[in-house]
Amino acid sequence: MEIKESYDLPLPIETVWQALNDEGFLKNSIPGCEKLERISPNELSAEVKLKIGPMSTRFKGKVNLSDLNPPNGYTISGSGTGGIAGAASGSAKVFLSKMEDGEGTILSYQVKAEVKGKIAQLGSRLIHSTAKKLAKKFFSNFVQELSK
Amino acid sequence: MYSTKIVKAENSSAAVQAIGSSKEGKILAGGMTLIPTLKQRLANPDCLIDISSCGLEGVEDKGSSVRIGAMTKHAAVAESSSVAKAIPALADLAGGIGDRQVRNRGTLGGSVANNDPAACYPSAVMALDGTVHTNKRDISADDFFKGMFETALEEDEVIESVSFKKPEKACYMKFPNPASRYAMVGVFVAKFSDGVRVAVTGAGEEGVFRHSDLESALSSNFSEEAVSGVEVSSDGLMSDIHASADYRANLIGEMTKRAVSS
Repeated sequence: MEIKESYDLPLPIETVWQALNDEGFLKNSIPGCEKLERISPNELSAEVKLKIGPMSTRFKGKVNLSDLNPPNGYTISGSGTGGIAGAASGSAKVFLSKMEDGEGTILSYQVKAEVKGKIAQLGSRLIHSTAKKLAKKFFSNFVQELSK
Repeated sequence: MYSTKIVKAENSSAAVQAIGSSKEGKILAGGMTLIPTLKQRLANPDCLIDISSCGLEGVEDKGSSVRIGAMTKHAAVAESSSVAKAIPALADLAGGIGDRQVRNRGTLGGSVANNDPAACYPSAVMALDGTVHTNKRDISADDFFKGMFETALEEDEVIESVSFKKPEKACYMKFPNPASRYAMVGVFVAKFSDGVRVAVTGAGEEGVFRHSDLESALSSNFSEEAVSGVEVSSDGLMSDIHASADYRANLIGEMTKRAVSS
């Protein structure tokens, strides 16, 4: 399953790239993120509370930044376990490019997601919708944070 | 199941108070979704607030609408003579939810508050221009459903009843998943003197929605042919192991035709 989307930002590409590498920005953008700490230059530990309808599970895991190509993009991937509920993982390829006017930036992304365990059994019909929603939420939060 | 505290509220304000004094309290209505979720340990509320003794059951004919208490069971709605007389399509819908066990425990308010994207009731609330009455305010159907599993309800808000407008005629047609009887696609068509409302459940990624193209086609010509003239797009529809988005789009047209011609 893949989700693609793109946003136009009225900001220079360097600013957007910096924010993509700032844990403060990322923490405020990841839906339900309660904790995000950098443990190495490209690795962060995370605690995320995911609420889908009646389910409410806390996932603990890691966020990795890879394929770094400043300031044109990277891959952000995360995986975590929610105890008995199962495990979830996902990654987003993020691309930045300059707009034709030279001032703005186009941010586009491709997301892949996977869940395992009980949460997958119960929620199989909802995974695509949920992943799409969370990805949208992440990038709309991110854009909002940037515009502050 | 993990142990959890359970509080029996005597009225909705007591229920709201109990939520306020808990950390992650949850209202327990019929429990048809919540209890299995707890058994699977996919949620771990510190407190359950049982609202079965809050006096929220019953059907009341209000003239131009029917008001049904939030804790009214699906079976009671299906068997109610006043619902059968005023809005037979609503009685039919309630009689087709889940299985007998679910219909004897599950409630209108629980279904509406959960807003499962494949539940039947949200389509009726939407198509019958319903109003959700809570302890705080009245919310129109169009403002109530906010996407998959999301509603306009606030943390300290409890549904007390739901009103449905009486249509000239209405019909609910669902293509059920054979195992769960959840709607793979369900279409509720309601014809009012000032137009037709068409609500679709089971298909949208964001849960129940009104289909404006079908509504305007049917408002000017209430017939199967009018439905055939509408191209139902698969944009924003769910795709899963049961059905692709295209298949669901086709089912929306088909279920609408059946609802119109029945």
